[in-house]
Amino acid sequence: MINGKPHSVEAPDTMPLLWALRDLLDFNGTKYGCGKGLCGACTVHVNGEAVRSCVTPISSLQNKEITTIEGADGNTLLKTVQEAWYDEDVPQCGYCQSGQIMNAAAFLSKNKNPDDDAINTAMNGNLCRCGTYVRVRRAIKKAAEKINGEQGSEN
Amino acid sequence: MERRNFFRITSLAGGGLLLGTYLPFSCTTVDESIVDWEPNFFIRIGSDNTITFICSQSELGQGTSTGLAMVAADELGVSMDKLKLEFGPGSSERYGYLQDTGGSNGLRMVWQSLREAMATTRGILVQAAAQKWNVAPEECYCEDGHIHRKDLNEKLPFGAVLDIASTLQAPREIQLKEPSEFKYIGKPVKGVKTKWATAGTTPYSINTKLPDMVYAAIERCPVWGGELVSFDGSKALEIPGVVDVMEVEPTELQQEDYRGGVRPGVAVLATSTWAAFEGKKALEIQWEMGKNGLKSNDDIRKELEADYQTKSEVVANLYDAEKLFPRGRKYISGTYDSPFQVNACMEPLNATAYHQGHKLEIWAGTQAPQLTRERIAELTGLPEAAIKVNNQPSGGGFGRRFFCDYVEEAVILSEKLRKPVKVTWSREDTFLTSKYHPLCKDYWEAALDANNFPVSIRYRGSINRPGAYRCYPYSIPFMSHSYLKYKEGRLLPRASWRSVFAHPWGLGMECFMDELAHNAGKDPLQFRLEVLKNAEIQEQKQWPWVGSDLYPKKLHNTLELVKEKSSWGRLRTNGIFQGVSAMCYNGSYCSMVADISVREGKIQVHKFTAVIDCGLAINPSQVKGQIEGSIMWGLTALLKTPITVKEGVVQESNYDSYDLLRMQEAPDVEVHIVETQDTPSGTGEVGVPGVAPAVLNAIFAATGKRIRQLPVTEELLMV
Ligand code: FES
Ligand code: FES
Repeated sequence: MINGKPHSVEAPDTMPLLWALRDLLDFNGTKYGCGKGLCGACTVHVNGEAVRSCVTPISSLQNKEITTIEGADGNTLLKTVQEAWYDEDVPQCGYCQSGQIMNAAAFLSKNKNPDDDAINTAMNGNLCRCGTYVRVRRAIKKAAEKINGEQGSEN
Repeated sequence: MERRNFFRITSLAGGGLLLGTYLPFSCTTVDESIVDWEPNFFIRIGSDNTITFICSQSELGQGTSTGLAMVAADELGVSMDKLKLEFGPGSSERYGYLQDTGGSNGLRMVWQSLREAMATTRGILVQAAAQKWNVAPEECYCEDGHIHRKDLNEKLPFGAVLDIASTLQAPREIQLKEPSEFKYIGKPVKGVKTKWATAGTTPYSINTKLPDMVYAAIERCPVWGGELVSFDGSKALEIPGVVDVMEVEPTELQQEDYRGGVRPGVAVLATSTWAAFEGKKALEIQWEMGKNGLKSNDDIRKELEADYQTKSEVVANLYDAEKLFPRGRKYISGTYDSPFQVNACMEPLNATAYHQGHKLEIWAGTQAPQLTRERIAELTGLPEAAIKVNNQPSGGGFGRRFFCDYVEEAVILSEKLRKPVKVTWSREDTFLTSKYHPLCKDYWEAALDANNFPVSIRYRGSINRPGAYRCYPYSIPFMSHSYLKYKEGRLLPRASWRSVFAHPWGLGMECFMDELAHNAGKDPLQFRLEVLKNAEIQEQKQWPWVGSDLYPKKLHNTLELVKEKSSWGRLRTNGIFQGVSAMCYNGSYCSMVADISVREGKIQVHKFTAVIDCGLAINPSQVKGQIEGSIMWGLTALLKTPITVKEGVVQESNYDSYDLLRMQEAPDVEVHIVETQDTPSGTGEVGVPGVAPAVLNAIFAATGKRIRQLPVTEELLMV
């Protein structure tokens, strides 16, 4: 399942999810940065966990729920994070940002009220050559505020 | 960046051509039902009221597409939310020779012509509506994509007057908007590119997919100057998805080194990028490594050191420095070392080409769409008119994407296959076989008077620019000598790297200024203010990519401001120390203060305070973003492993060995923008060269150690 819809591909078992998404299924939001699990550009969610798709073979994903940057519809948390990213004008070239956003969303689902240290630790593996870190930090705080605000009003 | 085609701007300007205003009006109407109206090559207005801004300049993340869209929106009278974004193809017929993006020129190259083109368009729309309403044009104005009537509360969407507009001539006189009428310019506006990037939908060229397209990866000769002896592709062909293996013949590096320089290689053609990458790993290749195969980066450094001992001539002499230099009572010197670096753009280099024999189409994120088209014409023998370069937003460029070797490769393969071919560089390729920021060695010396005040400065180093134009703003007499040369050509081919020569230049100049200040017993910031106060304006306008003369007063102003904003000299708690730097680059000025601490050989950068004068800041959010990013870039060069070479081979192959600054190391950044109505200059690079010196000067303040080389290692801090 990718973003709530079933998909199947015909490819060697060892093909990383990244390339199945990009070259075979046309989910181009997920990016190739290093291919070795070193940069975070290819981050997606597998059953809600942040996973580096460049080192995740498709054979390990049968019947798993995959969410990509394109999967914000019906995913309030992801949507909120994207909105915070927009509000804070985070992206420069944008190439690392799908990965940043996916990683931030997975992180926020576990830590709803992170401080700077927690954010720095959680996001330390997501590289950005344009150097947008200051704003990534701000956007995560903003998203956290929003999430907490919404939950507060529901309760 | 030095580039020949910018010279042509001068001749164009001399001929009186104002881009946009005098472009032929191409109206695409054939029948009664008008679809699109393109009064110039910047804008398309549809009869359904879709308004598309066609961005001539490249978007690499620096925000040029948003900045220019804001200019268009304001001058035309359209709301930013309504403005769609497209990128213009590489074309000198459309855009004169103003299109290639480098030297932080995105906005300043077309700012004026874009405004004139939009004001002209607005003039035509107003005339058209006036005709329709049968009123005087003065009675109408444009706003929110509509022409409004002043006397009645009536308005018409642009799309409703295209039938008339497309028959009208351009008004003889146009009126540019007054700054007070700007709705967007000067405000932090988010553009289409921000929307794309947060949704993951930016149309990078790496996403290109065409019917019948072949995915290619190339194994390139690991040593620059080496040759292909033989290869065996049989194991690669066994990999599922691999369809063919073939040689890629090199192209010669041209005098202007952003053309040519395709390395000898072997291409694997496949049905997916991954299969091509896997096939590449299975290739068996014999290379002849050549002379460079025996050299390391230390050898190159030694070649520069040896050249320093040879005779040289003075190529620039400011304020009579040459005469004054021998009169010093004392002399001090500083030698600065900076290593090879790589751009490491997050989007690996890639390009798609479709050569059909008589015509050729290219899809690439390039900083130089015109130059690429010119070069590909030269390479293939096709006329430029038969070549279309679809320029796409890039996942970072930083100068590397000004060099078109990666497009040449796709063209070479597609010419053989007569199919669309997408060449994607693996991350390893972008580290191991790319083009690089050169290793530099720079010698600064000063003659001092009896009070230890410098009376003359002499520079000799690897930078070939100080003879022509320089980033030297101070009033201390200054001379520079002809630049240092390698014994036998380059060890690695050169690419521009964010701020290009200004980086080693800034390292030397701004660290040395600090040394001079301390020697004279002066506060380093105060000292700079003193030697800027009476400095003369330096003519540089003649260099088109610089754009304007150098005004020491502007730099002085940014220093005054950064002094105040950083609480210079007042912060001395918690072991925090400050360092300062001041740089000018292509019409922009930036002073910065770093707050750092050093504990047990570990340096922590807490905060940067920067002040920039970039002329009118069209989009302050983006200006600040560029300075924030520049600081992270500069810190990466200062603190992380650079590119090193052993036996001709680059040793860093991915982000584990060439690490970038990370979130945990990212300091707080405070950026202040000088308010001015001067013509916009640029923001992408001026913030880079001052970063290392600001930190190094702060390290001196903290420890009394003068570090004159990059990167700063624990070892250097401990000795
Ligand atoms: S591409 Fe997967 S971590 Fe870099
Ligand atoms: S925004 Fe360009 S790499 Fe992060």
